[in-house]
Amino acid sequence: MDQTLFEKYGGFSTVSRIVLRLYDKLLDDDDIGPFFDDVDLPKLIDHQTKFVSYLMGGPASFTDAHIERAHHHLIIEDAHFDRLKELVSETLEEFSVDDADIEAIVGEFEARRPLLKRS
Amino acid sequence: MSIEAINEQLLRAIGVGVALVELDTMSLKFRNDTFTEWFGQASPDSGVAELFPELDMADVTAAMTSGTRFAAETSFKLRRRTMTVALELNRALDDEDGIAVLVCQNITRIKELESMIDSYSMMVERNTHEIKREKEQVEKLLLNMMPRSAYEEYKTFGVVAPRVFESVSVLTLDFTDFDQILAANDPAVIVSELNDIYTSFDRIGDQFGCERVRTSGDSYFAVSGVPDPVADHAESVANAAVRFMRYLRRRNESHPVKWHARIGLAAGPVIGSVVGVQKYIYDVFGPAVAAATETRALTGPMCVAAHGSIAGLLDGRFSLTPQPARGAAAAQPPTVLELADPALAAAKGGR
Repeated sequence: MDQTLFEKYGGFSTVSRIVLRLYDKLLDDDDIGPFFDDVDLPKLIDHQTKFVSYLMGGPASFTDAHIERAHHHLIIEDAHFDRLKELVSETLEEFSVDDADIEAIVGEFEARRPLLKRS
Repeated sequence: MSIEAINEQLLRAIGVGVALVELDTMSLKFRNDTFTEWFGQASPDSGVAELFPELDMADVTAAMTSGTRFAAETSFKLRRRTMTVALELNRALDDEDGIAVLVCQNITRIKELESMIDSYSMMVERNTHEIKREKEQVEKLLLNMMPRSAYEEYKTFGVVAPRVFESVSVLTLDFTDFDQILAANDPAVIVSELNDIYTSFDRIGDQFGCERVRTSGDSYFAVSGVPDPVADHAESVANAAVRFMRYLRRRNESHPVKWHARIGLAAGPVIGSVVGVQKYIYDVFGPAVAAATETRALTGPMCVAAHGSIAGLLDGRFSLTPQPARGAAAAQPPTVLELADPALAAAKGGR
Protein backbone atom coordinates (compact mmCIF):
# COMPACT_ATOMS: atom_id res chain seq x y z
CA MET A 1 0.00 0.00 0.00
CA ASP A 2 1.22 3.53 -0.79
CA GLN A 3 2.33 5.67 2.08
CA THR A 4 -0.23 8.29 2.96
CA LEU A 5 0.73 11.94 3.34
CA PHE A 6 -0.18 11.49 6.97
CA GLU A 7 2.57 8.89 7.35
CA LYS A 8 4.99 10.71 5.05
CA TYR A 9 5.01 13.85 7.17
CA GLY A 10 5.37 12.17 10.51
CA GLY A 11 1.86 11.25 11.56
CA PHE A 12 0.09 12.83 14.45
CA SER A 13 3.05 14.74 15.84
CA THR A 14 3.32 16.81 12.67
CA VAL A 15 -0.37 16.96 11.91
CA SER A 16 -1.10 18.30 15.38
CA ARG A 17 1.33 21.16 14.79
CA ILE A 18 -0.11 21.86 11.38
CA VAL A 19 -3.60 21.91 12.82
CA LEU A 20 -2.72 24.27 15.67
CA ARG A 21 -0.89 26.57 13.30
CA LEU A 22 -3.73 26.58 10.81
CA TYR A 23 -6.18 27.25 13.57
CA ASP A 24 -4.08 30.19 14.80
CA LYS A 25 -4.10 31.63 11.31
CA LEU A 26 -7.82 31.13 10.89
CA LEU A 27 -8.58 32.90 14.14
CA ASP A 28 -6.25 35.78 13.44
CA ASP A 29 -7.52 36.34 9.93
CA ASP A 30 -9.78 39.33 9.56
CA ASP A 31 -11.85 37.83 6.77
CA ILE A 32 -12.56 34.38 8.06
CA GLY A 33 -11.74 34.83 11.71
CA PRO A 34 -15.25 36.09 12.47
CA PHE A 35 -16.66 32.68 11.50
CA PHE A 36 -14.99 31.38 14.62
CA ASP A 37 -16.20 34.09 16.96
CA ASP A 38 -18.67 31.95 18.82
CA VAL A 39 -17.24 28.58 18.13
CA ASP A 40 -16.82 25.97 20.82
CA LEU A 41 -13.07 25.58 21.12
CA PRO A 42 -12.69 21.86 21.80
CA LYS A 43 -15.15 21.22 18.99
CA LEU A 44 -13.15 23.32 16.57
CA ILE A 45 -9.93 21.55 17.48
CA ASP A 46 -11.61 18.19 17.21
CA HIS A 47 -12.90 19.17 13.81
CA GLN A 48 -9.56 20.45 12.57
CA THR A 49 -7.61 17.46 13.84
CA LYS A 50 -9.91 15.02 12.15
CA PHE A 51 -10.22 17.03 9.00
CA VAL A 52 -6.54 17.59 8.37
CA SER A 53 -5.74 13.97 9.33
CA TYR A 54 -8.45 12.80 7.00
CA LEU A 55 -7.28 14.90 4.08
CA MET A 56 -3.78 13.52 4.53
CA GLY A 57 -5.02 9.95 4.62
CA GLY A 58 -4.75 9.54 8.38
CA PRO A 59 -6.98 7.62 10.75
CA ALA A 60 -10.14 9.68 10.53
CA SER A 61 -13.26 9.48 8.53
CA PHE A 62 -15.31 12.40 7.48
CA THR A 63 -18.41 12.22 5.41
CA ASP A 64 -19.60 14.93 3.07
CA ALA A 65 -22.85 15.01 5.02
CA HIS A 66 -20.89 15.72 8.19
CA ILE A 67 -19.03 18.61 6.56
CA GLU A 68 -22.20 20.01 5.10
CA ARG A 69 -23.97 19.88 8.43
CA ALA A 70 -21.07 21.54 10.26
CA HIS A 71 -21.15 24.53 7.92
CA HIS A 72 -24.84 24.74 7.31
CA HIS A 73 -25.44 27.72 9.54
CA LEU A 74 -22.63 29.78 7.98
CA ILE A 75 -22.81 32.00 4.97
CA ILE A 76 -19.54 31.24 3.25
CA GLU A 77 -18.63 33.01 0.05
CA ASP A 78 -16.08 32.11 -2.58
CA ALA A 79 -13.72 34.79 -1.28
CA HIS A 80 -13.79 33.17 2.16
CA PHE A 81 -13.05 29.79 0.74
CA ASP A 82 -10.20 31.18 -1.40
CA ARG A 83 -8.70 32.77 1.68
CA LEU A 84 -8.96 29.49 3.55
CA LYS A 85 -7.06 27.75 0.78
CA GLU A 86 -4.36 30.42 0.94
CA LEU A 87 -4.00 29.93 4.66
CA VAL A 88 -3.83 26.17 4.27
CA SER A 89 -1.09 26.47 1.64
CA GLU A 90 0.80 28.94 3.78
CA THR A 91 0.63 26.67 6.80
CA LEU A 92 1.73 23.61 4.88
CA GLU A 93 4.64 25.56 3.40
CA GLU A 94 5.78 26.46 6.88
CA PHE A 95 5.97 22.76 7.63
CA SER A 96 8.05 22.10 4.50
CA VAL A 97 5.40 20.02 2.83
CA ASP A 98 6.34 19.38 -0.82
CA ASP A 99 4.64 21.59 -3.39
CA ALA A 100 2.99 18.65 -5.08
CA ASP A 101 1.58 17.45 -1.77
CA ILE A 102 0.33 20.93 -0.88
CA GLU A 103 -1.41 20.99 -4.20
CA ALA A 104 -2.99 17.64 -3.45
CA ILE A 105 -4.19 18.68 0.00
CA VAL A 106 -5.50 22.04 -1.18
CA GLY A 107 -7.17 20.14 -4.02
CA GLU A 108 -8.98 18.07 -1.40
CA PHE A 109 -10.23 21.27 0.18
CA GLU A 110 -11.29 22.60 -3.19
CA ALA A 111 -13.25 19.44 -3.90
CA ARG A 112 -15.40 20.23 -0.88
CA ARG A 113 -16.12 23.83 -1.77
CA PRO A 114 -19.69 23.06 -2.89
CA LEU A 115 -20.45 21.52 0.51
CA LEU A 116 -19.63 24.71 2.35
CA LYS A 117 -21.23 27.22 0.07
CA ARG A 118 -24.87 27.76 0.60
CA SER A 119 -26.65 28.36 -2.63
CA MET B 1 19.62 51.40 36.91
CA SER B 2 18.74 50.33 40.41
CA ILE B 3 18.03 46.77 41.34
CA GLU B 4 14.40 47.68 41.93
CA ALA B 5 14.15 49.18 38.47
CA ILE B 6 15.67 46.06 36.90
CA ASN B 7 13.30 43.89 38.85
CA GLU B 8 10.32 45.88 37.71
CA GLN B 9 11.54 45.79 34.11
CA LEU B 10 11.85 42.03 34.32
CA LEU B 11 8.48 41.67 35.94
CA ARG B 12 6.89 43.72 33.19
CA ALA B 13 8.54 41.87 30.33
CA ILE B 14 7.98 38.33 31.57
CA GLY B 15 5.51 36.15 29.63
CA VAL B 16 3.56 35.43 32.77
CA GLY B 17 0.76 37.72 33.93
CA VAL B 18 1.66 39.19 37.30
CA ALA B 19 -0.39 41.52 39.48
CA LEU B 20 -0.38 42.56 43.09
CA VAL B 21 -3.62 42.24 44.97
CA GLU B 22 -4.55 44.18 48.04
CA LEU B 23 -6.31 41.61 50.13
CA ASP B 24 -8.57 43.98 52.09
CA THR B 25 -10.29 45.23 48.98
CA MET B 26 -9.27 42.53 46.52
CA SER B 27 -8.22 45.28 44.15
CA LEU B 28 -5.21 45.23 41.88
CA LYS B 29 -2.33 47.51 42.74
CA PHE B 30 0.09 46.59 40.02
CA ARG B 31 -0.14 44.65 36.81
CA ASN B 32 2.64 43.80 34.40
CA ASP B 33 2.46 44.14 30.61
CA THR B 34 1.39 40.58 30.00
CA PHE B 35 -1.38 40.87 32.56
CA THR B 36 -2.58 44.09 30.95
CA GLU B 37 -2.45 42.52 27.51
CA TRP B 38 -4.70 39.70 28.66
CA PHE B 39 -7.07 41.44 30.96
CA GLY B 40 -6.86 45.04 29.78
CA GLN B 41 -6.07 48.14 31.73
CA ALA B 42 -9.61 48.50 32.98
CA SER B 43 -10.06 50.95 35.77
CA PRO B 44 -7.15 50.99 38.17
CA ASP B 45 -9.47 49.97 40.96
CA SER B 46 -11.11 47.03 39.29
CA GLY B 47 -10.62 44.02 41.47
CA VAL B 48 -10.18 40.29 41.27
CA ALA B 49 -13.93 39.72 41.35
CA GLU B 50 -14.52 41.84 38.25
CA LEU B 51 -11.65 40.33 36.30
CA PHE B 52 -12.47 36.74 37.15
CA PRO B 53 -16.22 36.52 37.51
CA GLU B 54 -16.00 32.73 37.56
CA LEU B 55 -14.10 32.72 40.84
CA ASP B 56 -15.94 32.30 44.10
CA MET B 57 -14.60 35.24 46.09
CA ALA B 58 -15.56 33.62 49.38
CA ASP B 59 -13.16 30.77 48.55
CA VAL B 60 -10.41 33.23 47.68
CA THR B 61 -10.87 35.17 50.89
CA ALA B 62 -11.02 32.01 52.96
CA ALA B 63 -7.84 30.69 51.39
CA MET B 64 -6.03 33.96 51.97
CA THR B 65 -7.20 34.18 55.57
CA SER B 66 -6.42 30.65 56.64
CA GLY B 67 -3.46 29.98 54.38
CA THR B 68 -1.21 31.69 51.95
CA ARG B 69 -2.07 30.20 48.61
CA PHE B 70 -5.03 29.97 46.25
CA ALA B 71 -4.99 28.33 42.83
CA ALA B 72 -7.59 28.03 40.09
CA GLU B 73 -8.04 27.81 36.35
CA THR B 74 -10.11 30.22 34.37
CA SER B 75 -10.97 30.88 30.75
CA PHE B 76 -11.75 34.09 28.97
CA LYS B 77 -11.99 35.37 25.43
CA LEU B 78 -9.17 37.39 23.96
CA ARG B 79 -10.22 38.55 20.53
CA ARG B 80 -11.78 35.34 19.25
CA ARG B 81 -9.44 33.01 21.03
CA THR B 82 -10.44 31.30 24.23
CA MET B 83 -7.59 31.73 26.65
CA THR B 84 -7.13 29.49 29.61
CA VAL B 85 -4.90 30.56 32.45
CA ALA B 86 -3.82 28.86 35.63
CA LEU B 87 -3.88 31.54 38.26
CA GLU B 88 -2.20 31.44 41.59
CA LEU B 89 -2.52 33.89 44.43
CA ASN B 90 0.33 33.87 46.93
CA ARG B 91 0.22 35.91 50.05
CA ALA B 92 3.38 37.96 50.45
CA LEU B 93 4.82 36.51 53.60
CA ASP B 94 6.51 39.38 55.30
CA ASP B 95 3.91 41.88 54.41
CA GLU B 96 1.70 43.36 56.99
CA ASP B 97 -0.45 45.29 54.59
CA GLY B 98 -2.03 42.12 53.29
CA ILE B 99 -0.72 41.98 49.73
CA ALA B 100 -0.80 38.90 47.55
CA VAL B 101 0.98 38.20 44.29
CA LEU B 102 -1.33 37.05 41.53
CA VAL B 103 0.46 34.97 38.89
CA CYS B 104 -1.31 33.86 35.72
CA GLN B 105 0.27 31.22 33.51
CA ASN B 106 -1.03 30.86 30.00
CA ILE B 107 -2.05 27.22 29.62
CA THR B 108 -4.15 27.76 26.50
CA ARG B 109 -1.81 25.74 24.33
CA ILE B 110 -1.80 22.89 26.79
CA LYS B 111 -5.59 22.88 26.84
CA GLU B 112 -5.70 22.95 23.07
CA LEU B 113 -3.25 20.10 22.85
CA GLU B 114 -5.31 18.15 25.37
CA SER B 115 -8.40 18.62 23.23
CA MET B 116 -6.46 17.56 20.21
CA ILE B 117 -5.07 14.45 21.85
CA ASP B 118 -8.57 13.57 23.07
CA SER B 119 -9.93 13.96 19.59
CA TYR B 120 -7.14 11.96 18.09
CA SER B 121 -7.25 9.16 20.62
CA MET B 122 -10.97 8.84 20.07
CA MET B 123 -10.30 8.46 16.38
CA VAL B 124 -7.62 5.88 17.00
CA GLU B 125 -9.81 4.00 19.44
CA ARG B 126 -12.62 3.85 16.96
CA ASN B 127 -10.28 2.61 14.27
CA THR B 128 -8.78 0.03 16.59
CA HIS B 129 -12.27 -1.14 17.37
CA GLU B 130 -13.06 -1.49 13.67
CA ILE B 131 -9.86 -3.37 13.01
CA LYS B 132 -10.66 -5.70 15.89
CA ARG B 133 -14.10 -6.36 14.49
CA GLU B 134 -12.68 -7.09 11.06
CA LYS B 135 -10.11 -9.39 12.60
CA GLU B 136 -12.84 -11.29 14.38
CA GLN B 137 -14.68 -11.67 11.12
CA VAL B 138 -11.60 -13.02 9.39
CA GLU B 139 -11.05 -15.38 12.31
CA LYS B 140 -14.61 -16.59 12.07
CA LEU B 141 -14.18 -17.27 8.38
CA LEU B 142 -10.93 -19.13 8.93
CA LEU B 143 -12.49 -21.16 11.72
CA ASN B 144 -15.08 -22.28 9.19
CA MET B 145 -12.27 -23.64 7.08
CA MET B 146 -10.17 -25.33 9.74
CA PRO B 147 -10.37 -26.54 13.32
CA ARG B 148 -9.39 -24.07 16.01
CA SER B 149 -6.20 -25.91 16.91
CA ALA B 150 -5.08 -25.81 13.28
CA TYR B 151 -6.01 -22.14 13.12
CA GLU B 152 -3.97 -21.36 16.23
CA GLU B 153 -1.02 -23.19 14.74
CA TYR B 154 -1.46 -21.32 11.48
CA LYS B 155 -1.60 -17.98 13.29
CA THR B 156 1.56 -18.68 15.29
CA PHE B 157 3.73 -20.38 12.72
CA GLY B 158 2.17 -19.42 9.40
CA VAL B 159 1.84 -23.09 8.46
CA VAL B 160 0.01 -26.11 9.75
CA ALA B 161 2.06 -29.25 9.99
CA PRO B 162 0.23 -32.36 8.78
CA ARG B 163 -0.81 -34.42 11.73
CA VAL B 164 -1.61 -38.09 11.92
CA PHE B 165 -4.71 -39.02 13.86
CA GLU B 166 -4.37 -42.69 14.66
CA SER B 167 -7.88 -43.58 15.53
CA VAL B 168 -10.77 -41.70 14.05
CA SER B 169 -14.00 -42.49 12.25
CA VAL B 170 -15.06 -41.18 8.89
CA LEU B 171 -18.52 -40.66 7.46
CA THR B 172 -19.03 -40.03 3.78
CA LEU B 173 -22.36 -39.47 2.15
CA ASP B 174 -23.62 -38.92 -1.37
CA PHE B 175 -26.95 -38.91 -3.13
CA THR B 176 -27.80 -41.77 -5.41
CA ASP B 177 -29.88 -39.95 -7.96
CA PHE B 178 -28.10 -36.65 -7.96
CA ASP B 179 -27.84 -36.47 -11.76
CA GLN B 180 -31.60 -36.83 -12.18
CA ILE B 181 -32.27 -34.25 -9.47
CA LEU B 182 -29.87 -31.89 -11.20
CA ALA B 183 -31.59 -32.38 -14.52
CA ALA B 184 -35.08 -31.97 -13.14
CA ASN B 185 -34.59 -28.89 -10.97
CA ASP B 186 -33.47 -25.34 -11.19
CA PRO B 187 -29.85 -24.92 -9.97
CA ALA B 188 -31.00 -22.35 -7.42
CA VAL B 189 -33.40 -24.91 -5.97
CA ILE B 190 -30.64 -27.50 -5.73
CA VAL B 191 -28.32 -25.09 -3.97
CA SER B 192 -30.96 -24.06 -1.49
CA GLU B 193 -31.97 -27.69 -0.85
CA LEU B 194 -28.38 -28.79 -0.33
CA ASN B 195 -27.75 -25.80 1.89
CA ASP B 196 -30.72 -26.79 3.97
CA ILE B 197 -29.72 -30.46 4.17
CA TYR B 198 -26.03 -29.88 4.84
CA THR B 199 -26.85 -27.34 7.52
CA SER B 200 -29.02 -29.92 9.24
CA PHE B 201 -26.28 -32.53 8.88
CA ASP B 202 -23.83 -30.10 10.46
CA ARG B 203 -26.16 -29.58 13.36
CA ILE B 204 -26.76 -33.30 13.85
CA GLY B 205 -23.04 -34.06 13.52
CA ASP B 206 -22.23 -31.40 16.04
CA GLN B 207 -24.59 -33.02 18.48
CA PHE B 208 -22.79 -36.35 18.19
CA GLY B 209 -19.22 -35.11 18.09
CA CYS B 210 -18.43 -35.31 14.43
CA GLU B 211 -17.35 -32.41 12.35
CA ARG B 212 -17.85 -31.79 8.68
CA VAL B 213 -14.59 -31.61 6.75
CA ARG B 214 -16.04 -30.56 3.43
CA THR B 215 -18.84 -30.90 0.99
CA SER B 216 -18.36 -31.19 -2.70
CA GLY B 217 -21.47 -31.14 -4.81
CA ASP B 218 -23.56 -34.04 -3.65
CA SER B 219 -20.99 -35.47 -1.28
CA TYR B 220 -20.73 -34.71 2.38
CA PHE B 221 -17.73 -35.77 4.40
CA ALA B 222 -17.38 -35.65 8.18
CA VAL B 223 -15.03 -37.08 10.79
CA SER B 224 -15.04 -37.77 14.47
CA GLY B 225 -11.76 -37.58 16.38
CA VAL B 226 -10.10 -34.77 14.41
CA PRO B 227 -8.42 -32.70 15.68
CA ASP B 228 -9.42 -33.48 19.26
CA PRO B 229 -9.62 -37.16 20.14
CA VAL B 230 -13.11 -38.58 20.67
CA ALA B 231 -13.25 -41.77 22.73
CA ASP B 232 -16.28 -43.26 21.03
CA HIS B 233 -15.69 -41.86 17.54
CA ALA B 234 -17.23 -44.91 15.88
CA GLU B 235 -20.44 -44.46 17.82
CA SER B 236 -20.38 -40.78 16.91
CA VAL B 237 -20.43 -41.35 13.19
CA ALA B 238 -22.86 -44.28 13.45
CA ASN B 239 -25.27 -42.16 15.49
CA ALA B 240 -24.92 -39.27 13.09
CA ALA B 241 -25.40 -41.56 10.07
CA VAL B 242 -28.59 -43.00 11.49
CA ARG B 243 -29.93 -39.51 12.24
CA PHE B 244 -28.98 -38.22 8.79
CA MET B 245 -31.15 -40.96 7.30
CA ARG B 246 -34.02 -40.28 9.69
CA TYR B 247 -33.82 -36.62 8.83
CA LEU B 248 -33.91 -37.34 5.09
CA ARG B 249 -36.80 -39.78 5.39
CA ARG B 250 -38.83 -37.20 7.31
CA ARG B 251 -37.85 -34.47 4.92
CA ASN B 252 -38.75 -36.50 1.84
CA GLU B 253 -42.26 -37.01 3.19
CA SER B 254 -43.03 -33.32 2.90
CA HIS B 255 -40.69 -31.95 0.24
CA PRO B 256 -41.12 -32.15 -3.53
CA VAL B 257 -37.48 -33.05 -4.16
CA LYS B 258 -36.67 -36.48 -2.73
CA TRP B 259 -33.13 -37.05 -1.63
CA HIS B 260 -31.75 -40.59 -1.30
CA ALA B 261 -28.40 -40.82 0.37
CA ARG B 262 -25.85 -43.55 0.77
CA ILE B 263 -23.47 -43.44 3.66
CA GLY B 264 -20.16 -45.19 4.10
CA LEU B 265 -18.52 -45.47 7.51
CA ALA B 266 -14.99 -46.55 8.31
CA ALA B 267 -12.44 -46.20 11.08
CA GLY B 268 -8.67 -45.98 11.09
CA PRO B 269 -5.86 -43.46 10.79
CA VAL B 270 -6.09 -40.24 8.82
CA ILE B 271 -3.87 -37.26 8.17
CA GLY B 272 -5.22 -33.79 8.81
CA SER B 273 -3.60 -30.72 7.32
CA VAL B 274 -4.13 -27.39 5.70
CA VAL B 275 -3.77 -27.74 1.97
CA GLY B 276 -2.90 -24.88 -0.30
CA VAL B 277 -1.02 -21.63 0.10
CA GLN B 278 -3.23 -18.97 -1.43
CA LYS B 279 -6.49 -20.86 -1.14
CA TYR B 280 -6.15 -22.99 1.88
CA ILE B 281 -8.51 -25.54 3.16
CA TYR B 282 -8.23 -27.96 6.00
CA ASP B 283 -8.44 -31.46 4.61
CA VAL B 284 -8.36 -34.95 5.98
CA PHE B 285 -7.13 -37.95 4.03
CA GLY B 286 -5.84 -41.44 4.65
CA PRO B 287 -6.88 -45.07 4.75
CA ALA B 288 -10.03 -44.47 6.77
CA VAL B 289 -11.26 -41.90 4.25
CA ALA B 290 -10.58 -44.21 1.33
CA ALA B 291 -12.30 -47.10 3.09
CA ALA B 292 -15.39 -45.04 3.86
CA THR B 293 -15.68 -43.84 0.27
CA GLU B 294 -15.19 -47.34 -1.06
CA THR B 295 -17.80 -48.71 1.32
CA ARG B 296 -20.28 -46.03 0.36
CA ALA B 297 -19.98 -46.99 -3.29
CA LEU B 298 -20.98 -50.54 -2.45
CA THR B 299 -24.26 -49.78 -0.79
CA GLY B 300 -27.69 -48.78 -1.98
CA PRO B 301 -29.98 -45.78 -1.55
CA MET B 302 -30.93 -44.89 2.01
CA CYS B 303 -28.50 -47.44 3.41
CA VAL B 304 -25.67 -46.96 5.84
CA ALA B 305 -22.75 -49.27 5.12
CA ALA B 306 -20.07 -49.89 7.70
CA HIS B 307 -16.59 -50.96 6.67
CA GLY B 308 -15.03 -53.84 8.56
CA SER B 309 -12.68 -51.42 10.25
CA ILE B 310 -15.48 -49.76 12.19
CA ALA B 311 -17.73 -52.76 12.79
CA GLY B 312 -15.78 -54.02 15.79
CA LEU B 313 -15.89 -50.61 17.47
CA LEU B 314 -19.66 -50.33 17.56
CA ASP B 315 -21.65 -51.65 20.48
CA GLY B 316 -24.71 -53.89 20.30
CA ARG B 317 -27.18 -51.09 19.75
CA PHE B 318 -26.37 -51.08 16.07
CA SER B 319 -27.25 -54.28 14.28
CA LEU B 320 -24.86 -55.05 11.48
CA THR B 321 -25.72 -57.50 8.77
CA PRO B 322 -23.27 -58.60 6.11
CA GLN B 323 -24.29 -57.18 2.79
CA PRO B 324 -23.82 -58.73 -0.61
CA ALA B 325 -21.32 -56.50 -2.34
CA ARG B 326 -22.95 -54.55 -5.15
CA GLY B 327 -20.99 -54.32 -8.36
CA ALA B 328 -17.72 -54.95 -6.64
CA ALA B 329 -15.19 -55.65 -9.29
CA ALA B 330 -12.26 -55.61 -6.94
CA ALA B 331 -10.52 -58.88 -6.37
CA GLN B 332 -10.92 -58.52 -2.64
CA PRO B 333 -14.09 -56.62 -1.91
CA PRO B 334 -14.09 -55.05 1.53
CA THR B 335 -16.33 -56.39 4.23
CA VAL B 336 -19.47 -54.31 4.08
CA LEU B 337 -22.07 -54.51 6.78
CA GLU B 338 -25.38 -52.83 6.61
CA LEU B 339 -26.06 -50.79 9.69
CA ALA B 340 -29.68 -50.58 10.72
CA ASP B 341 -31.26 -47.73 12.59
CA PRO B 342 -31.74 -49.10 16.12
CA ALA B 343 -35.10 -47.29 16.36
CA LEU B 344 -36.37 -48.86 13.15
CA ALA B 345 -35.03 -52.28 14.11
CA ALA B 346 -36.81 -52.05 17.45
CA ALA B 347 -40.06 -51.05 15.73
CA LYS B 348 -39.81 -54.05 13.40
CA GLY B 349 -39.01 -56.41 16.24
CA GLY B 350 -41.99 -55.20 18.28
CA ARG B 351 -44.43 -55.90 15.48
